[in-house]
Amino acid sequence: MNTIQFSKVNVGDELPVVEHFVSQDVIDAYAVSSLDYNPVHTNVDWCTRAQVFGMPCTVVHGMFTMSLMSSVVVRGWGAANARVRSIEVKFTKPVPVGTRLRCTGKVKELHPIAPGKNFAVVELYVHDPADQVMGVGSAQVMLPD
Amino acid sequence: MTPAIETANRLAKHFNTDKQRNFESNFLKDAEVYETWDSVEIGRAFPGKLKFVVKDEDVLFYNKSIGETDPLMVDPAYAKKHSPTGELIQHPLFVVQVAFYCIENGPGSWIRSPGARNPGQKIEIWEPFKSGETISMTVVAFDRWIRRGKHYITDKLDFHNEHGVRKATWWLTLIIPPNREGILKFARM
Repeated sequence: MNTIQFSKVNVGDELPVVEHFVSQDVIDAYAVSSLDYNPVHTNVDWCTRAQVFGMPCTVVHGMFTMSLMSSVVVRGWGAANARVRSIEVKFTKPVPVGTRLRCTGKVKELHPIAPGKNFAVVELYVHDPADQVMGVGSAQVMLPD
Repeated sequence: MTPAIETANRLAKHFNTDKQRNFESNFLKDAEVYETWDSVEIGRAFPGKLKFVVKDEDVLFYNKSIGETDPLMVDPAYAKKHSPTGELIQHPLFVVQVAFYCIENGPGSWIRSPGARNPGQKIEIWEPFKSGETISMTVVAFDRWIRRGKHYITDKLDFHNEHGVRKATWWLTLIIPPNREGILKFARM
């Protein structure tokens, strides 16, 4: 079990990369678990006509991408240790089905407030295989002392 | 087989819970009743249409859909023994399914608009949801604006348990069609 502590974290620390290939099956599973059935994610036939993002295919849920970005913290520091208390993300490009996403995180700030209240700010990025930035954001993460 | 039935069958393979089985998965169906950008009164506050009773299975299948493999997140028996709370640890964005469930096709239903685009989101998690809690959601129309010809809208969603404890806040922003005609144009494609 991961035993990360606030006192052991430094500005500039990089968290392990999270990668995920997003197939239509992955999108479908997320649509069901999130209850977000917007046709731009699930209806292949409709997408070829509607082309909401100018492409004739489904796109990945932004909330899946955001979830994956927060998974950088969860997996890197351990689900039982790190508690994301806020997350803010901007999506810079739509992610077409069949993209391998690569999510990274780097500690940007440390906030030594008081025992039990200390938190780190982690910069989060998501790239596609061509190294295009698909999303940027940051999360405030509570860590054990 | 029609494309609509093909989509429904494909999605049905992933159903694991009653909430998933009973939720309407065709967002094109109610496009005539969704709130529209031009009709939302900024400042209006409504309770979400439905309440969400948190179950272990809701947490489990959200975690799995993100690809989590930590047994604290995907193995209820392991979590019962080893998690600090004795429950599965939920993914930070578990609140997404609570929001979609509570909104259904009521206040804030522009979230389902065909043609919607997601520019980015902000979520605060005050404390994790707990199994057995009944979550209510308040939907406040927070802001709407036009930038570069695109119509943005933000609802502030506040989530409380049955004891009034605030669990999460989500500033939910989308770019959506400007009016009913715009939504129906996409819905009829």
